[in-house]
Amino acid sequence: MTESDLRIGVFVCHCGLNIAGTVDCESVAEYAGTLPGVAHSDHLLFTCSDDGQANIKQKIKELNLNRVIVASCTPRTHEPVFRACVEEAGLNRYLYDQVNLREHVSWVHMDDHELATEKAKTLVRMAVERAKYLEPLERKAVDVIQKAAVIGAGVAGISAALDLADAGFETTLIESRPTIGGQMALLDKVFPQNDCAICILGPIMSKVGQHPNINLMTYSELDNVEGYVGNFHLNVRKKSRYIDTEKCNGCGDCATVCPVSVTNEYEFGMGERRAAYRPFPQAVPNKYTIDKRGTSPCRIACPAHVNVQAFLALLKEKKYDEALEIYRKNSPFAGTLGRICTNPCQADCERGKYDQAVSIRNLHRFLADYERDNGGIKIDPIVPDKKKAKKPVAIVGGGPSGLACAYDLARDGYSVTVFEARKEAGGLLRWGIPAYRLPRDVLRDEIGILKQMGVTIKTGTKVESIAELKAQGFKAFYVATGASSSRMMNIKGENTKGVLSAIEFLDKVNSGKTVNIGKKVAVIGGGNAAIDAARTAKRLGAKKVTIVYRRSREEMPAIPSEIDEAEHEGIQIEFLATPIEIDTKEKLVSSMKCIRMRLGAPDESGRRRPVPIPDSEFKISVDNIIMAIGQGVTPEALLTKLEPTQWGSLEVDPVTLQTNMKGVFGGGDVVLGGGGTAIEAVAAGKEAAKSIDRFLRGVDLIEGREDFLIPIEKIDVDEEAFKTRYAPEMPTLSMSKRKTTFEEVELGFKEAVAIAEAERCLSCGICCECEKCVEACKLDAVNHKLQDEIVELDVGTIIVATGFQTYDPLETREFGYGTFENVITNAQLERLTNAAGPTQGKPKRPSDHEIPKRVAFVQCVGSRDRRIGQDYCCYIGCANSLKQAIQLKEKFPDIEVTIYTMDVRTHGLGYEGLYRRARSMGVLIVKGRPSEIEEIPDTKSLIVYAEDLYTGERLETTSDLVVLATALIPNDDTPELARKMKLSTGEYGFLMEAHPKLRPVDSFQDGVFLAGATLGPMDIPKAVAYGKGAAAGAQALMAPGKFYVEPIYAEINTDLCFDCDLCSDMCPYGAITGKGEDRRVMFELCQGCGTCAGACPHNAIDMRHYRRQQIMPQIMAAVRMQGGVVL
Amino acid sequence: MKEGKFEPNIVAFTCNWCSYGSADLAGISRLQYPPNAKVIRLMCSGRIDPVMVIESFKNGADGVMVTGCHIGDCHYSTGNHRTQVRFDALQKAMKVMGLNPERLRLLWASASEGQQWAEGITEMTEKIREIGPNPITAGGITK
Repeated sequence: MTESDLRIGVFVCHCGLNIAGTVDCESVAEYAGTLPGVAHSDHLLFTCSDDGQANIKQKIKELNLNRVIVASCTPRTHEPVFRACVEEAGLNRYLYDQVNLREHVSWVHMDDHELATEKAKTLVRMAVERAKYLEPLERKAVDVIQKAAVIGAGVAGISAALDLADAGFETTLIESRPTIGGQMALLDKVFPQNDCAICILGPIMSKVGQHPNINLMTYSELDNVEGYVGNFHLNVRKKSRYIDTEKCNGCGDCATVCPVSVTNEYEFGMGERRAAYRPFPQAVPNKYTIDKRGTSPCRIACPAHVNVQAFLALLKEKKYDEALEIYRKNSPFAGTLGRICTNPCQADCERGKYDQAVSIRNLHRFLADYERDNGGIKIDPIVPDKKKAKKPVAIVGGGPSGLACAYDLARDGYSVTVFEARKEAGGLLRWGIPAYRLPRDVLRDEIGILKQMGVTIKTGTKVESIAELKAQGFKAFYVATGASSSRMMNIKGENTKGVLSAIEFLDKVNSGKTVNIGKKVAVIGGGNAAIDAARTAKRLGAKKVTIVYRRSREEMPAIPSEIDEAEHEGIQIEFLATPIEIDTKEKLVSSMKCIRMRLGAPDESGRRRPVPIPDSEFKISVDNIIMAIGQGVTPEALLTKLEPTQWGSLEVDPVTLQTNMKGVFGGGDVVLGGGGTAIEAVAAGKEAAKSIDRFLRGVDLIEGREDFLIPIEKIDVDEEAFKTRYAPEMPTLSMSKRKTTFEEVELGFKEAVAIAEAERCLSCGICCECEKCVEACKLDAVNHKLQDEIVELDVGTIIVATGFQTYDPLETREFGYGTFENVITNAQLERLTNAAGPTQGKPKRPSDHEIPKRVAFVQCVGSRDRRIGQDYCCYIGCANSLKQAIQLKEKFPDIEVTIYTMDVRTHGLGYEGLYRRARSMGVLIVKGRPSEIEEIPDTKSLIVYAEDLYTGERLETTSDLVVLATALIPNDDTPELARKMKLSTGEYGFLMEAHPKLRPVDSFQDGVFLAGATLGPMDIPKAVAYGKGAAAGAQALMAPGKFYVEPIYAEINTDLCFDCDLCSDMCPYGAITGKGEDRRVMFELCQGCGTCAGACPHNAIDMRHYRRQQIMPQIMAAVRMQGGVVL
Repeated sequence: MKEGKFEPNIVAFTCNWCSYGSADLAGISRLQYPPNAKVIRLMCSGRIDPVMVIESFKNGADGVMVTGCHIGDCHYSTGNHRTQVRFDALQKAMKVMGLNPERLRLLWASASEGQQWAEGITEMTEKIREIGPNPITAGGITK
């Protein structure tokens, strides 16, 4: 079109004062009229009105306009309106363009009208230049999928889903909670008629559950969504309830036996529920759910993966044998490890981040001791499986590692024999650790568990080779022979009589042999063996025992409580010192020369290397020296023909623990070279058992062997209910007894102390997999192995009705919430008055469960509050408090109720009546927000300080219960949802509608509608109306079956294209196809982004309506113009 | 144009889904910012051909802003990935052209980030004011 043919019409809108208040519209219109190609230019008050549109249509016809520009608001709202308008006048809708003078000019440059007007002129000029190159385009139709998805099943979502389903559209209703009903289902009564909420909602919920056109997906969340209007593809994650919903009949037997209690979010924290639960009795669907967040950190940290959370939960309920059974699923050593374990579980205990880790070790010790005191250990023998018994297993070494391996294999049905060279099994547990830490009978009885199970333990039997065992018929082997030699320092005088290794020393004592120990003993080293040796020496009569350790206290590897006890027993520790020479007198030890050390740079273990300080030698007078500086593996521990590592320990595969001999596995100290803890040895034994089982079954040793322990992403701690409490002190044997006997020093917790300590567990994983529910369910519906499922949906429209949450004043502790027990919120009071709630409908106040005589309501908590950026009205606070006040008065006419408010907002029909009714019942309404609330310590009642703004009187009133009317705020996951669905959020974080007045249920995405309180605070009838409105919008879109797609897609000029494929490589939709003459864009797939056009080096591919020739003039006008003046 | 005060002339390319929306939201929220940037509305920031940026500078733009959705949020999935690549190349080209690279700016702003739009424009305007007019059209004065 040549310039002379152009007849552009420019219409500059005042938009009342919205634009005209800042931009001089007349001047802009005048300027536009001077531009070449513009046949008509005018300014109007409201272009989008009937009048305005009529004017445009008239001018088009009258003046034969062939391009129209409206300079007004953002095209994102009215572009469709004006396009339709020009089309009605006979002009192709794509010959229309819109200039944004409101959102982009008048509303944002209010300080400088002159510059704003200049910018407006430039923008209009840009549009005029572009308009010259616009072309008529025809819209294409696409099929609209006749299905809908509704996200959120509160009252708005339910209303929408029912209307859509009744109209015949298959609707998937997605709800993140295990039940539908949203917030309304948790209310007691609803204003203004004070109907029972669940009574009116319940039947509707049932209808949803049974509707043939509604596909109900509860406990499900949207993972992501792709596509466009009419053709959305959703990936919905159906979270696992760990209960088969086909089988579950809602009987609740699982919840009755579940030992884990957590704060009930459906009671707003006023009550508790179990990990296996149903939100409320009228839940739809009527199924139970197991709330499992993952594996608790303690269980993951334990090298043997003992289910700590489960045994603590059962201990709390006094189910000691069931708790012990849980422990014994993983290891037989509840009492043994209960005394000597280094408890890595406690290091990771979540409670430790708050006050102090739970005393897990002492609690499973308690369980073992309780059993000993109440009948002793009784284990049923296990009959080996016939098939497995044909392949007996031999274990060499009866220490913790070998025994743990035997335990697991025997429980699995194998026939196991343990070969132990010493006269008693137990390894270092028996021959190394002193009896004052681990009494002999505790260990003996727990080893006895294996015997009771049917494991053969051959003591006093030394094995020299695998071959001899094979000859006896064994088919698989575990070598756990330990590290029984000692490292020595190699200093002068070390070979003198009176210098012992700790292993040697402790072994002799533990064998009952007499050991001569002098009056002055030095122990070299800082590990548990050194402490054990020192404390044993004390008990044998040494007067002065000194531990000499080359690093500082912080680096000492021994268990801290052991170090403390050693010092309590009078043992001295010389830190940062090491012996360099042992002096003798008449072939006996007389003294030891030591040198002071300082910490230098870190060595390969990461610890700082000790460096001798020159000229700092000093002497200690000693009779005996005990070396406890490390262990070593004896060559015979490797039996014959097993391959060692370069350090002499047994070489094994790090995953399967297999040695160089097939079917022979190794673990524990013989592999580590010494220094391993007992629990690490147990874990190695269990890994070996796993390998041996796979080996004997002929199954791959590696594939699928990992434990399924999923860490918890975020541990939910109810900080409101949390009370700081530290672990109890372990009662210990008196010092006088300790000096001379080997009686156990730590005496164990008493029952009440143990229960109280177990109660400190935070139940991190919530469900702990104790599997009591599996036992209790008569329908076999519980399955802890179930996984989340991803369900894919294709729909034509989506309605988002995800609701709101109530503001929690816990962070600000406003009005004492969270600090004073008797300050609660509206939502919490609602649960108290609810007959199905935690107090069976009696409004008992939290501190003493008494019915309050005086109740105060404080309005607008978190609402109309600029300090926290929530300066909007919550819409329902006044009506809600009036309703609750009336309810209290109805049940207990003598209760004094006062509502402290700024304004009483009872809008529309019915609510004013509520206000009058409350007042007639004697409810006092004070205009004046309280300034402060104080608690009276003995009664826990509260003093409310306020000012009556009408009378000017200062008020100081005592109240037994204070109820806060809290704000309604967006859900925490709204930003994430907005990002996934490409929705806008408004100033306060709620989802934003396309237009607050005229398009309340539309979003900015075609095909996605919004309903209910996800848009902002509203009451139930409004939410229902929005739901129905959104359903109507969705139906209007789907019913015609087709949707007109914008003809904004790419086109290829094959004359210019040389098949470089840059465009087709970067097209996200694979819309470019063919080669040479056949190269083309598939318009149904092209979404119109223009990325291809931005890349083409030959200008061969271009984007309709956003062509190069349409954009470049816009750019030229923008950069060359300033306020109508060419620069 | 005000006498004596240099008013930067800035072109801002926007995408229909995110950054144009963020500019709208800034307007709805009545956030005030300088009037120096003229918005060109495209469907996707991926539509921006580097030639458009170069031509802008050649013809007198003091500053150019390339704006769009945050990476990962593009309405067309990967359009803004291309934008990022082209922007990085253009940044290098700025020096070749003899232009201060600060004249070219990338701003990702989602439709709910009105504040970011207003701040971005304000910062850009002040920066350009500081470094002065486009040397190509203003007679070869480079800062």
